[in-house]
Amino acid sequence: MLNNHLRILVILPMYGGSLPVGRFCIEALTDLGHTVESFEAPEFHHAYEALKGLKVTGDRLEYLQNSFLQTLSQAVLAKVETFEPDMVLSMAQAPLSHQALKRLRKDNVTTAMWFVEDYRLFTYWKSFAPLYDIFAVIQKEPFLDELKSLGVKNCLYLPLAAHPSFHKPLNLSSVERRKFGSDISFMGAGYANRRVAFRKLVGHNFKIWGTEWDGDHVLEPLVQMQGKRVSSEECVKIFNATTVNLNLHSSIHSDKLVTGGDFINPRTFELCACGAFQLVDKRTLMDEAFADGELATFASMDELMAMIDDYLANPKQREQIAQRGQQRVLREHTYAVRMQTLIDFTTEQIPDWPIKKESKSLFPSHFPEKLKEDINELIHSLNLPEDVGFEDLVWAIRQQQGTLSDLETAVLFLDEWQKIYKKK
Amino acid sequence: MKHYLVIQLARFGDLIQTKRLIATLVARGDGHVHLCLDHSLAPLASLVYPELELHSIAAHRTGVSREQAYFAMLNGNRKTFARLKALKFDEVYNLNFSPLNFRIAALFDPATVRGHFWDNGQEVSSQWARMAMQWSRWRKLSINLVDFWAYYCRDAVAPEKVNPEASPHGENIGIVLSGRESRRSIPLDLLAEYTTAIARINKSAKILLLGSHTEQNAGKNMHRLLPSDLQNRTENLAGKTNWADLIEVVSSMKRILSPDTGTMHLAAHLGTPVTAFFLSSAWCFETGPYGNGHTILQATRNCLPCLESDTCPHKTACLEGFQATDFIRFMITEKSTVVPNGINAYQTQTDEFGINNRIFAGTDPDQASRIEFRRFLARHVGLNTPLSNNAHHLAIKMYREKDWSVPRAEESRHVL
Repeated sequence: MLNNHLRILVILPMYGGSLPVGRFCIEALTDLGHTVESFEAPEFHHAYEALKGLKVTGDRLEYLQNSFLQTLSQAVLAKVETFEPDMVLSMAQAPLSHQALKRLRKDNVTTAMWFVEDYRLFTYWKSFAPLYDIFAVIQKEPFLDELKSLGVKNCLYLPLAAHPSFHKPLNLSSVERRKFGSDISFMGAGYANRRVAFRKLVGHNFKIWGTEWDGDHVLEPLVQMQGKRVSSEECVKIFNATTVNLNLHSSIHSDKLVTGGDFINPRTFELCACGAFQLVDKRTLMDEAFADGELATFASMDELMAMIDDYLANPKQREQIAQRGQQRVLREHTYAVRMQTLIDFTTEQIPDWPIKKESKSLFPSHFPEKLKEDINELIHSLNLPEDVGFEDLVWAIRQQQGTLSDLETAVLFLDEWQKIYKKK
Repeated sequence: MKHYLVIQLARFGDLIQTKRLIATLVARGDGHVHLCLDHSLAPLASLVYPELELHSIAAHRTGVSREQAYFAMLNGNRKTFARLKALKFDEVYNLNFSPLNFRIAALFDPATVRGHFWDNGQEVSSQWARMAMQWSRWRKLSINLVDFWAYYCRDAVAPEKVNPEASPHGENIGIVLSGRESRRSIPLDLLAEYTTAIARINKSAKILLLGSHTEQNAGKNMHRLLPSDLQNRTENLAGKTNWADLIEVVSSMKRILSPDTGTMHLAAHLGTPVTAFFLSSAWCFETGPYGNGHTILQATRNCLPCLESDTCPHKTACLEGFQATDFIRFMITEKSTVVPNGINAYQTQTDEFGINNRIFAGTDPDQASRIEFRRFLARHVGLNTPLSNNAHHLAIKMYREKDWSVPRAEESRHVL
């Protein structure tokens, strides 16, 4: 573990779908034994939004927003300077400017972007992709070719995933089952194709969860919690409490309800990890992620309608498919697996990465046993691996909130003393 | 009963220069004052500040191995840290802008810490500390370090109460060989000439050479450079005095001649008259002797004060004034008509704000600006001084936008 131990700075976006993905990446990297630090951009979102309340001219607002984002980029650079990561991993929409990315490249800091968005809709990747050392995406051709044509050397197909310690089977109370359960449910935003598709389900025991469903008088009675945002924790309860979870990938077009698109959304993996049954629209990249019998897929609305009735009547079949899907996801489609893939890819593609650092062992020779016990207890309380190096122990202590203990303070003091007097 | 903690991890001179702050906390009479410092200075502190409770730690480089350092920090320091944390201090004065000080501050609630504190893993310096960093860019103005540290408290004791007025305590003359930075010291051959001249007019005086063990050889060489008749009444005490001996020796002197050293500050603390030589990076407006009645001979050149860490591109030209033919005559007579070029002479005196060096020979083009600046700072710390003429300009220079927009009650607002 010690040899492959990395320092990774994850740059979260201020908001949006890639935010929970970023948080799962942080947990997965930590579980893999790496020292992970996050740049908490969401904490700046309110201030950014407040600029919109100024009611100033458009060009002024533009200027202020850009200035604000430049400040955030500077904050990221400061964090990099202090933390000295082996990799800066940005999630889509991370507030990292062109200038900051150029600076990181100049400073020989390896950067990676996991672009967990549809490249056809979020077209800004053309501007940023060449500035990252690694650009990981959830789609393949022609996106990968297009990236290469822009000069992006290290493109990686890295589909979304689930985080099993979060997306898991739950024992729900009867109250929770009543609240979150139904024969059929859909959890997600009210995209155009979904609004049209789900009209056919009115009359079923069907609940719709999520935002952006307003203005649809037909579906409105089915929308839960007045269309408020559903937390990730509540999502897992919905997945667990529902007999048939619908998973219809989004489209901004209403003329084709089942689009047959390429990427697999995170809900597909999350539902599987929960051991929940889902009916999901067929995607072109699904065959390499799931085998027959691991997912129940549909290619048209007619097919979906028929499958709903079949599976509602067939609990055994539901259970078998859900179980197989769950096993596949837990084995191959977790964030831990994705992060390991990213690290392995970076090792292959970037020469001499990660840069070898001299890591001091925690205990010099003849170290008193009692002191060793106390430090091991501290390591345990900080959830660090037993073979943690001195530098990573120091960093973990620095992350503590509030005042520090005498031992924590002594470790930090020793670290600085060594730096001052170069006793390394 | 309240508990106050002062964290002073710097050197000998800094420990003595913390006196006005310590005196202020003691004068409050409502609590117990503690001092955290390096092990090496604890014996001195127990003599200089007998009323304080000392908590010494390993902070300075002491030539220990990595293993020894680990044990000293994680065992010894840790025990002290545990004691400090348990004392739940009402106010902590964390004085040094050093990573070590920031880390110790992690023990304490940041709301109780003045100076440099630790806020959930973030190093933060209070407004007064930041202002000092700002004015350190205009060192020609500056204020004495003793006053800077004292004004972490708005109820700082009167400057004249800090040290006794300078007055001779005996016959002997002390010569301090050099400070930690040799460029800031007078070369031995020159010092021997000064010593000879002083000795000639103090015929019954013993000449005592003072310094640490690292100056023992310098003391021997100096001894050799003196005329033979003076050698008989000169004693090289470098490296031979412990703290108690040094205090005893310095406290019974007529005068000491010294560059900017800890011993110079000790003499000021004891009220022994000082003739201080300031050149190179040493700047008397920052670290001059504190108290009434000391003499400072300050080199003047456009490049002064310089930075200790920079190499001198002028071959230490600031020494020229000290090498001038008239220098010794001036040093002895203090007649302004014979002051050599490149030297300003000051008498130390206290005013309402702190130490104020009064020029009595030479020219000081920055004096007016310095007076304005002191008035500005005096207003800042709550003294009822008139508004300085360029208050707006100084305020722009000294305050940051965030001081105005997001003020934090950092410094002590203790009001009697």
